[in-house]
Amino acid sequence: MDYLFFPGCSLEFTSRGYDKSSRAVAEALGCVLKDLPDWNCCGATSYMSIRELRSHGLSARNLALAEAEGASELITVCSACYTVLNKTNDYISEMPDFAQKIRTALASAGLKYDGTVRVRHLLDVIVNDIGLEAVNEKVVKPLTGMKVACYYGCQLTRPHGRFDDPEYPQTLDLLVEALGATPVDYPLKAKCCGAMVVSTQRNDLLPLVDALLGAALEAQADCIVTPCPLCHFNLEFYQDDVNRQLGADYKIPIHYFTQLIGLALGLDVRELGFGLELIPSENLISVYAGK
Amino acid sequence: MSEEVKEFPGNGKRRLTFTEEENLRQYLEKERIGVFICHCGTNIAGTIDIDEVVNYAKSLPGVAFAGDHKYMCSDPGQNLIKEKIKELGLTRVVVSSCSPLMHELTFRHAVADAGLNEFLFQMANIREQVSWVTIDKRAATEKAKRLIRAAVTRVVFHKPLEVRKVPVNPNTLVVGGGIAGIESALKLSEGGHKVYLVEKEPSIGGHMAKFDKTFPTLDCAACILTPKMVSVGRSENIELLTYSEVEEVSGYVGNFKVKVRKKARYVNLETCTACQDCVAVCPVRVPDEFNQGMSERTAIYRQFAQATPNKFLIDKRGPAPCKVACPIEQDVPGYLAMIAEGKYKEAVEIIRRANPLPVVCAYVCYHPCEEWCERKNVDEPLSIRELKRFAMDWAVKNHIEMVPPPPLERRDEKVAIVGAGAAGLASAYVLAQKGYQVEVYEASSVIGGMMALGLPPYRMPRQMLKHDINYIEKMGVKFNVNQTLDKDFTIEDLKNRDFQAIILAVGTHRGARLGAPGEDLPQVEQGLDFLKRVNLGEQVRVGKKVCVIGGGNTAIDVARTALRLGAEEVTIVYRRSKAEMPASGEEFSAAEEEGVKFEYLTLPIEFLADENGSLRGMTCVRMELGEPDESGRRRPIPVKGSEFFMDADNVYLAIGLVPATDYFAGSEDMKLDKWNAPIVQTGSWETSIPGVFAAGDLVTGPSTIVKAMRWGKQVANAVDKFIKGLDYSSEVTDLPDPSVLRRNDFINPKWRADYSNVPHFRRSEMPMLAITERIRSWECVELGFSEEVAREEARRCLQCGVCVECWECVKACQPKAIDHFDKDEVLELEVGNIILATGFKTFDAGRAKQFGYGRYDNVLTSLDFERLSHSGGPTGGRMVKSDGTLPKAIAILHCIGSRDQHYNEYCSRVCCMYSLKMAHLIKEKIPDCEVYELYIDMRCFGKGYEEFYNRLLHERVHFIRGKGAEVNDYPSLDPTLRFEGNGKKSGKLFVRVEDTLLGIPREIPVDMVILSVGLESSADAGKLQQIFKLSRSKDGFFLEKHPKLAPVNTASDGIFIAGCAQGPKDIPDSVAQGAAASASVMALINTGEVVLEPTTSHIDEEICTGCKTCITVCPYDAIFFEEVKKISVVNEALCKGCGTCVSACPSGAARQWGFDDIQIESELSAILKEYKREPEVTASGGQRI
Repeated sequence: MDYLFFPGCSLEFTSRGYDKSSRAVAEALGCVLKDLPDWNCCGATSYMSIRELRSHGLSARNLALAEAEGASELITVCSACYTVLNKTNDYISEMPDFAQKIRTALASAGLKYDGTVRVRHLLDVIVNDIGLEAVNEKVVKPLTGMKVACYYGCQLTRPHGRFDDPEYPQTLDLLVEALGATPVDYPLKAKCCGAMVVSTQRNDLLPLVDALLGAALEAQADCIVTPCPLCHFNLEFYQDDVNRQLGADYKIPIHYFTQLIGLALGLDVRELGFGLELIPSENLISVYAGK
Repeated sequence: MSEEVKEFPGNGKRRLTFTEEENLRQYLEKERIGVFICHCGTNIAGTIDIDEVVNYAKSLPGVAFAGDHKYMCSDPGQNLIKEKIKELGLTRVVVSSCSPLMHELTFRHAVADAGLNEFLFQMANIREQVSWVTIDKRAATEKAKRLIRAAVTRVVFHKPLEVRKVPVNPNTLVVGGGIAGIESALKLSEGGHKVYLVEKEPSIGGHMAKFDKTFPTLDCAACILTPKMVSVGRSENIELLTYSEVEEVSGYVGNFKVKVRKKARYVNLETCTACQDCVAVCPVRVPDEFNQGMSERTAIYRQFAQATPNKFLIDKRGPAPCKVACPIEQDVPGYLAMIAEGKYKEAVEIIRRANPLPVVCAYVCYHPCEEWCERKNVDEPLSIRELKRFAMDWAVKNHIEMVPPPPLERRDEKVAIVGAGAAGLASAYVLAQKGYQVEVYEASSVIGGMMALGLPPYRMPRQMLKHDINYIEKMGVKFNVNQTLDKDFTIEDLKNRDFQAIILAVGTHRGARLGAPGEDLPQVEQGLDFLKRVNLGEQVRVGKKVCVIGGGNTAIDVARTALRLGAEEVTIVYRRSKAEMPASGEEFSAAEEEGVKFEYLTLPIEFLADENGSLRGMTCVRMELGEPDESGRRRPIPVKGSEFFMDADNVYLAIGLVPATDYFAGSEDMKLDKWNAPIVQTGSWETSIPGVFAAGDLVTGPSTIVKAMRWGKQVANAVDKFIKGLDYSSEVTDLPDPSVLRRNDFINPKWRADYSNVPHFRRSEMPMLAITERIRSWECVELGFSEEVAREEARRCLQCGVCVECWECVKACQPKAIDHFDKDEVLELEVGNIILATGFKTFDAGRAKQFGYGRYDNVLTSLDFERLSHSGGPTGGRMVKSDGTLPKAIAILHCIGSRDQHYNEYCSRVCCMYSLKMAHLIKEKIPDCEVYELYIDMRCFGKGYEEFYNRLLHERVHFIRGKGAEVNDYPSLDPTLRFEGNGKKSGKLFVRVEDTLLGIPREIPVDMVILSVGLESSADAGKLQQIFKLSRSKDGFFLEKHPKLAPVNTASDGIFIAGCAQGPKDIPDSVAQGAAASASVMALINTGEVVLEPTTSHIDEEICTGCKTCITVCPYDAIFFEEVKKISVVNEALCKGCGTCVSACPSGAARQWGFDDIQIESELSAILKEYKREPEVTASGGQRI
């Protein structure tokens, strides 16, 4: 099946592992991800808080390009892109005044958007289009014994919960189970990781990351998996700072959910971007990669 | 006047043309119409320019008077109408004011008072439809003018109609036995009126019966409710129908017909004394719904100690699939339960109840029950046959003498049964149970047929059979052995010996022949004959190499027997492949283990003898499989040139069995089919000779023991009815297909429908004799379960149908109140009025996943807490955590499922107050427990409520303004709370909330969380809505006629609502509504008759083509077909004037009084007509008075 794919900025820089593993896993599961030509920033991060309309304009440009490609769906793996693109879509359909402004902005660039593109997350595609049974059938190296904390973050299911319960999501847990691993009870699975707050209020970020890591440690998880580049970044990059400043001693590997799928499907670990992580994970990964 | 209207060309079923519209003026001008416009204070006059509208009305053709009044509904207003009618001789009246729902009757009565027919009146609604819905005065004034013009144009075509009056049936139906329904029923009964109180639960009491204390007075709910429940039970005027549901309602106000299904309770309401002796013996445990699943109850139960009626009932969810799958419908769950409890004698009794040959079945039944066992959806089916084997072995081993229960009656009629196999013995068993004099004639010297002659002893020890036969003998059955039909006696002989009926169950004892040369050599023998010789004790010798031809169980039996007789090599030669073999899997594996060889796709075509005339071997041919034949198996076809030779000292043929034809040689009346089996009637299996029946393999061909027993039992039932002179044509039935069972019919509520909470335990497998020991002995290969294994295996039964039908309760019940064959009963009631007090359900807290209900043991709903706090609850009123310890801190979260756009927008009204009550009860029982109330705002609106809130403020309860956001077991705000020092979870629950008074997020560690769930419309509100044809508001509750002025009425006259069926409310309000509804009913009863609107439909005889379309669409069954004239006729008493038939009638014959086409069309065209075509109206404007 062919999908139009919106990579987003993170995948080009901080989340190379996510980019590689998403493409490799999609291919292995029989999907073709075709990049949206000439895509631009989705409009996320601080921009949304400072120049809201303009950031929606950026977002709408991507939607207009997708529509021009004749696609009815646009797939992303970044929760922030997912939220922003969906938010723009919602505003356009619900607020006529807003929609008019966006139309004017797009027209100045020779574009138009009729609101026909549905924005979806790759997790949704894998669980609901491909199906857990089909994934399970393709597993060649079941992740038996691996204890995984499934961390969804906030943007994937909120505010609307398009494909999962916004308060207590389950899709990632079911997927991890289908890979043969054991999802641990992780009560903070939908809590905020701090997102962009680090850029202005660095000290507010660390307790949030601390709680998320602490809950995973307490559940004796071998790693945390996430479908969001920003969650991944905060949990991984600031682990050292949390250890230093809050007197903790975390060494919890953080992985993208696609990396875990790839591992279970028996794909080459380098193709999945393993080895790029800041928290060493060889001990865990080699157990399964070697099988 | 009205005659002229009839002639108006637009009176038929077609639209007005413009020319006709021009003619309209003439018709208008023949009338003298009065238009009365109401200001409704400023309600209308504030938005509409009344003067302009009055002047416009005056300008309309036909209008003889137009005037206005501040309040037209007031006395002076109504008097104005009456005066003008008399003074100006008005012929039609239009009032332009509020909605007809509000005041149509007021003005119609005013018109009637003035001597005019009340239907020569029309109302134009310029309040709800104009002034209330806009602030644009210009637009409002213009719309008002149009509506008035439309009303004037319409009223011209009104015809005088007469209202009808019908008597009111003084009986009332109250649906729902909660506090509101109880109050309604009691008030009506106190007023001397008959009431049917229908409650779907086994007891009345509703939700209130579950509550501990009530706010704000802290009365014990039971103390104030129980006396009322008792009064209901005692009242002579109240007919209490519990465990019953309304299925159908027809008729109209004053004259309803209601069908009520009284579900089978299986316990007699009259004789049950509620002594609880049955509870002590019931082996079933299911969650007690009344205690919110926090405790367990038995299958026979009452809801609670004060239940009314205080009688027990049995929870049956349909027969278990194992029972349905069993050809003789064994009560499998019953004996499994008895084995699990160690009551083995009872288990044997249950087995013997339906099974004439249980010992045999215990060893050799093919157990279809296991194939359908519900447990297969969890892990593996139970080892049901092995458990039966355990029970029967236990009885034999312990010399338990089973005494057959005496027959229900003694009958003198004699029945002869020919053949003592499974079918014949089953027939004998049933007929003996029924009291007949039964004699069995058996050709061989032993009783048991194939069971005695064909079953090798390593499958069932030979002496075991006698236990079953002895039991049947004890029932009074006489056996005559060595009596062969047609040789020693004939059917005629039996008839002459006064047998009223004869059952032929002679089976199939002749082996089929192969038809190959050399088949008559002495070493080529029928396998069955071989087995018979072995079983009758003959010293049988076999050679070194034995071949068995065939692929069924007989072939396997022969092969394994030959091994035990010393054959060195035994080969089964089968013409198809392994997949097509009819032999059972267990038998096949056993043979394979013992070393039997298999030659598939092989057929002997010639048997060859040596020089002494003894068999030396056979020529075989290889086969290949072609297209499937009529049996569905692929047909074997010989492969050309594949002939080969096989050594063999002995060959046994086991390729099929047929009836021995000579049995019937003496009777010319007996019609036989091509297999020489008697031709029988379907349903009775009576042969062509009246009074002579056939049963078992003789009819079906070779089958299994348990199927033969089924046919034997069923034919015996047919014989019983035949002798009694009853219809016996449908006693013998095909095997039911258990796959037609719906799974939700038999889910024990203990196991969730997905069985996710059932612990997995693998099936216990039958221990077997070691292979080396097997083949040199006749010892039974299957060793049987030990007591320990049997009980453990029996405990795996899911008891999926809840009641296991062990009938232990029947034995325990001294007043003999229990009847397991009880059936639902449908009552037809006639009542004049109906009160619906069907209550509510609480919000399903599992829907709001963030609060962890169902995930954390110590998160409860308020209803759970009521039971926990109640002295009759699961803990006897001890308020403890799931681990039995006392909580040190409890959070109560308000508005769960209420005031939340994700679930229900509305406020459930009672939660604030019951939350306060819960806090008080906690403080009362655990004074040092910290209680947090997390509220949005406190709604303490009733009498004494605010005072109660104040009292709680002084009881040191913490009130935090903020809706609880989330509950989980890990703190995200305060790291110091994370561990209790040892790395383990602290066991605390953390409630996150934004404290909106402090403006900070908080995380409160507690031991228990109570979710104050809101109230929702009852689970069956949708069903009730259809049955009673009511409306519901968007919140799901039943819609009242008027939210303020008619809160207990509905849009359907004669149907009232009370209590939470109408919306969330507390006990005082529910009681008030219950009483109000009964007062409304009594008003109608006392009036004695009701007025029916004349706006019913009618059918023009001359136009009706008799197509019956109207009959099919009428929702009230008010139209019937007149067979003589071949036309449809409306029963005006039943017609509710919905107009469905009018719009459906293809010929235009169906019409409705008050809604003629001309009336509606003229009204519509007057509204839609271009305004600019009207003459300009000025302030001084009107030309006509």
